[in-house]
Amino acid sequence: MGVLDVFTEFGEVYLQSLLSTWLMTVVCFLGGLAMGILVTVMRVSPIKPLRVVGDVYVQIFRNIPTVSLLVIFVYALPYLGLLLEYRTCLVVCVILVVSSFASENFMSGINAIGVGQIEAARAIGLSFVQIVRLIVIPQALRTTVLPMTNLLIATLLTTALGSQVPLTPPELTGMVNYVNSRSVAGISAFVVSAICYAGTSLVLGFLGNKLDKKVRIVR
Amino acid sequence: MSAHAVSMRDALYEAPGPKTRRRTVIGTVVSIVALVALLILVVRQFYVTGQLDARYWSFLAEWTTWRFLLEGFWGTIKVALIAGVIAIALGLLLMLGRISSNKVLSFACHAITDVFRSLPSLLLIYFFFLVVPTYGIRMPAFWMLTIPVALAASGVLAEVFRAGVNAVPKGQVEAAMSIGLTHGKIVRIIVLPQALRIVIPSLVSQLVVVVKDTTVAYVVSYPDLMQNARVLISNYDALVSMYLVVAVIYILVNYAVNQLSIALARRNDAPLITRSTENPT
Repeated sequence: MGVLDVFTEFGEVYLQSLLSTWLMTVVCFLGGLAMGILVTVMRVSPIKPLRVVGDVYVQIFRNIPTVSLLVIFVYALPYLGLLLEYRTCLVVCVILVVSSFASENFMSGINAIGVGQIEAARAIGLSFVQIVRLIVIPQALRTTVLPMTNLLIATLLTTALGSQVPLTPPELTGMVNYVNSRSVAGISAFVVSAICYAGTSLVLGFLGNKLDKKVRIVR
Repeated sequence: MSAHAVSMRDALYEAPGPKTRRRTVIGTVVSIVALVALLILVVRQFYVTGQLDARYWSFLAEWTTWRFLLEGFWGTIKVALIAGVIAIALGLLLMLGRISSNKVLSFACHAITDVFRSLPSLLLIYFFFLVVPTYGIRMPAFWMLTIPVALAASGVLAEVFRAGVNAVPKGQVEAAMSIGLTHGKIVRIIVLPQALRIVIPSLVSQLVVVVKDTTVAYVVSYPDLMQNARVLISNYDALVSMYLVVAVIYILVNYAVNQLSIALARRNDAPLITRSTENPT
């Protein structure tokens, strides 16, 4: 079966699975960013226990294999009285992992600013809120464009774990399994999925790079 | 990665006055109470659903359990190390091809690097597990896991190596050219030795990604830590405790490797180049 035959027979499912992969990527990335901001606020807060929890949170979720987290959500949580849908499990797991990396990106963006600028800001009489709003956040955001682009691409690749749980429609990696269990597609199904992944990453990387060039701070 | 985290975090705040100090104390107490309450809630949920029963945890006191888990862990280490070695070799070749003066070779290596970097390792595993056998090629489970994990890592490592090469000061290459060294010689005796030293911490940190990628070994029925844990689950009917223990083992191992790479980076005064710091295009 050639690539074109795969398109004529499974084109519609492929389109659905591509859209489903994109949607999951966007939801997981935005969720991860939101959660990452929350965790970063905890990590830079002056309240010690919150700092510790934030640090531990990041260490746990950046070091756990996402599969290991996913099996806990899918198979273990029902025993503890929490039964979630497959897609919900996947999205929550990816958000947890992505948020830990997002927080690491924010932290290194904050660290790159340098203590001197904060001291200078204080010397001219800026308040804490002003320092954070005018000095920290704008610079931290501008230096994290490239790492966050890479994180967005990594999020796209992580949603491939959706192939480990039954999803309708399947996402792009699950499609290889889906097509191969219904016909002898050989390499074609793989090629179509690979093109979708590579094409998406290429476009995302290009856009992120452009944005970075525009806002980058040359130090 | 967060080497200066503490200093910068603390620099944000002025020395607190009595009012702020009081507020911080209140915040600390409230957050501790909230955290303890959350912990109690979680433990209570374990208790209510009977997951704290001794029968779910007692098998962890037996040596045979740990021996079986260790066997699985050895499987994980074998795949991770061999995939790591293959990825380093392949990544180095891809990078060398990319910086070579041969336009065709350079373009091909660039394209291959980008493709491997932008595919999920799981898709590559499915390729070796589902697609390759349809062409009559039989592979042992070990290689159906190791090769795709290595390929996925090689794309990232090629970029890591390239960043290492770029970190070698340009003046050295110019100096080498001016004394008449050829391109090959410059790369071999001037650039590579220094670039390799720079990337060592980053190679170690990439090992974490490789270990994570091996956790889907059950797809090809290769006995790694996760797969052996699944066998134990069906033997002892203790799913929750087993999956939690396995997760903790993975976290500790990866945490240790990460800390090692940070320590190496600090000692060599080298930057940590990871997937998130490199250029996406």
